[in-house]
Amino acid sequence: MKPPSENHDLIRWLDGEMTDAERAAFEGEMKADPALAKEAEEMRSLSASLRTHLPAEMKVPHADFFNSQIQMRIAQLEMEDSRQKPESSLESIFALFRQPWLAAASAVAVVVAGFLMIGPGGTDSEHSLILSSYTPGRGVEASTYHDSAADATVLMLDGLDEVPADRKISGISVHRSETEPEVAATTLFDAAGAPLLVISRDAAGHPLFLRNHPRG
Amino acid sequence: MPAPAATDPGEVSDVDLVKRSQAGDMRAFDTLVTKYRGRIYAMTYHLIQNETEAWDLAQEAFIKAWRALPNFKLDAAFYTWLYRIAHNVTYDWLRKKKIQGDGEFDDERTEHRVAVGAEATPKGDAAPDTALRNAELGQRIQDAIAKLSPDHRQVIILREVEGLAYEEIAALVPCSLGTVMSRLFYARKKLQEILKDVYETTL
Repeated sequence: MKPPSENHDLIRWLDGEMTDAERAAFEGEMKADPALAKEAEEMRSLSASLRTHLPAEMKVPHADFFNSQIQMRIAQLEMEDSRQKPESSLESIFALFRQPWLAAASAVAVVVAGFLMIGPGGTDSEHSLILSSYTPGRGVEASTYHDSAADATVLMLDGLDEVPADRKISGISVHRSETEPEVAATTLFDAAGAPLLVISRDAAGHPLFLRNHPRG
Repeated sequence: MPAPAATDPGEVSDVDLVKRSQAGDMRAFDTLVTKYRGRIYAMTYHLIQNETEAWDLAQEAFIKAWRALPNFKLDAAFYTWLYRIAHNVTYDWLRKKKIQGDGEFDDERTEHRVAVGAEATPKGDAAPDTALRNAELGQRIQDAIAKLSPDHRQVIILREVEGLAYEEIAALVPCSLGTVMSRLFYARKKLQEILKDVYETTL
């Protein structure tokens, strides 16, 4: 029997890496060498055990959180990339709203929409632009348009059951935003610098919206 | 290279999911994550032998894959491409940690071993004593794998779990064919030595 450090034939035989001729020659060698045959059988038994007990697929702990955290981290990276580009910082913030996964995972009861004030501040041309909207209820579709006469952005909800008269629906006007990548939270501020909305995630990785109550 | 998972009739193909992902469809990418997370996690777990680190590395692999998707030309199966990324991520981590084998592992690296051993037990209607023996053997094998050096553990996992040919292992590691064979030989000898009592009673 060859010294163990040089016996690649044994390994190649075990792993089926030999040609037919090589295999026949090696098996002939094993017949003449009981120690080699015993060694080969032990290694074959070990290989069988390894294949049985080392699964190629395993259950991922907290699998849903695994997926949602990947999505959150990708969103963060893309936001950071966007910030490095010469585009509006608000544009990058609203990339979050455009992520379908975020919308799908959200359990908020009302439509979430992003409003961006465009145009020079205080001019007549200033109005809200809806960058993205989301309806958690299936069958409900959101659309928006700017009504010049009313100087308002109108949010249309098709397919929604009648809204109770005591239900208040309001939008938010975002002036600027700040992102804390380490805690995966983005805070939106109004023109007076007051926080309007904090976008983050809960312990289970689900999107979390913390709304500041309007003053006055 | 590792074969992609079988596709059920009616299931969206990897190619379609990749193309949609490349167009920015995060839901399509999420479907790919769900489809392959168990295999990628198994690979990282076997190499790292630590549930928490393996979980993080598997995530890192998917994030790197997303970032690299624009450059993926679909000239290989998605899983093969993803597997290479996951392998490189894991091995970079091992290099950074400069982990050496032969039992030099801390307690944290062997946490959750019982649960993983139980998970590795073959499913079936085995009698309780047989199931217990299988669970115990699975645990012994997991412990033995953890005692190998990272280089030896790597080739054993690539060969025995992933079923890669020598040339594929050599290309992935990367190293020569001779090194692959030497590492496989010594890894198996080491495992035989650690599991000597098991095989003395079964052979």
